[in-house]
Amino acid sequence: MPSTVPISGGEWPSDTELLRRHVAGDSDAFGELFRRHRDRLWAVALRTVCDPEEAADALQDAMISAFRRAADFRGDSAVTTWLHRIVVNASLDRLRRRAVRPVASAGEEQALEALLAHDHDPARAADIRLDIDAALRILPPPQRAALVLVDMLGYSVDDAAAILDTSPGTVKSRCARARARLLPYVAHLRGNRSAGERVSPAQGGDA
Amino acid sequence: MNELKGNMTHPDSEVLAEFRAGLIAGRHGARISAHLAACERCADLCDQLAELSTLLAAVPAPAMPEAVTRRLDGVLAAEAAQRGQRDQRDDAERAVGDSSRHRAPGRRPRRQWDFRLVTLRVLAPAAAVAVLAAGGYGLSRIGASPTASQASRSSASSAATAAALPQARAALPSGSAGSRPEAVPAHNSLQVVTSQTNYLRITLRQQLASEMKRYARRAAGPLSPMSAPVKGCVLRVTKDTHPVTDRLIETARFQGQPAIVIVAASGRHDVAWVTTSTCSASSDHVLATTTLPGTYAP
Repeated sequence: MPSTVPISGGEWPSDTELLRRHVAGDSDAFGELFRRHRDRLWAVALRTVCDPEEAADALQDAMISAFRRAADFRGDSAVTTWLHRIVVNASLDRLRRRAVRPVASAGEEQALEALLAHDHDPARAADIRLDIDAALRILPPPQRAALVLVDMLGYSVDDAAAILDTSPGTVKSRCARARARLLPYVAHLRGNRSAGERVSPAQGGDA
Repeated sequence: MNELKGNMTHPDSEVLAEFRAGLIAGRHGARISAHLAACERCADLCDQLAELSTLLAAVPAPAMPEAVTRRLDGVLAAEAAQRGQRDQRDDAERAVGDSSRHRAPGRRPRRQWDFRLVTLRVLAPAAAVAVLAAGGYGLSRIGASPTASQASRSSASSAATAAALPQARAALPSGSAGSRPEAVPAHNSLQVVTSQTNYLRITLRQQLASEMKRYARRAAGPLSPMSAPVKGCVLRVTKDTHPVTDRLIETARFQGQPAIVIVAASGRHDVAWVTTSTCSASSDHVLATTTLPGTYAP
């Protein structure tokens, strides 16, 4: 990744230091902070809104907001938690706005149709991913956001609670309801696995 | 099999999921626990819930697509440029005391930044439009210019001309991007283009994309050496954008009023500013700004 101007100091500055430099007027610090975390932030936005274009818009909203509100960061959470929270909120905002439009249901119908037409091989990682992407769409956004953070991206319940600005109990509850809701749609994915066989993370590594 | 000790109505999957998450304790939890020990069907459901989490964890996190990366880099660079201008202006205002009183109503020093950022934000969705309108740039020209006929012809030959500028590539089918012809002026020999273009806020991006293509063919308008005030203006406006290479300096019109248009390459995107024609080394009044990433391909 070509970075425009090297951050001075030689050593790797912490996120907090980058944010402090940004607030102090360093024109490269925020870009560096963003480059550092963009793939995680992208994953959060994409999984939460389930649409690449909407995700790009949400992430853009979020980064502009973070850029401008950096001085409000008080250090009571990690910088990454703060960034994630802004991205999740921007994503949920996008979804709320989209929900007003009737187009929204079309996407869900497509998702369900895709789930019902299992003419692909569920053993293939790419197909599993498609199925999961489609199944995620049926979840209410707050449940999806929690499940994405905890089950898909591996955040602890406490971290997810900080990002979602809610209690760990609420995160657990949203995740539990989301899993129960998803189960019927992804049950076929385990159908062709022999008993006891678990999907290992390595099987999903095609991208 | 176990005896009927765990016999109860089968809990539904949501209850089981909540139980697995540790949300159900006490007597209710104990009953579920006993039921699971006895009921193969519910125990299997629990296994499925565990497998679901494993399955979800196995889905690889997608990397940010290159086009999105470029777009967001551009947005952040524009934000940084805006902020730099704001700071600069604040410094200038501090230096001349209460000069802010001479400004137009509603443009208090601290609010100016916000005002221009709102402009930027409103313009942002036009990026997609500019890309989708590939080949039709000529149509977006509003002003009646001596080069209008060349502009409309450029629709047909856009593949050849747009390839001259990397930021226009995304608007074209892949493979059409060629080497950059020497027609693109070098930084140190940059001259001012005088054009009849009337830029409008709402179509600024598309018009700039079109103008850049004509400029690459030296068809945007007559060239003249940069005057000292314009040079000062360019240096002032682009001061906080790094790295920067001036691409196009043009005197034109914006919303019908005389204006100076500055397009500078910064990294992999272009940043554009429109200032009033009175802009110089000592003062600027940026009317609009935008980025030309040319990279947002859905």
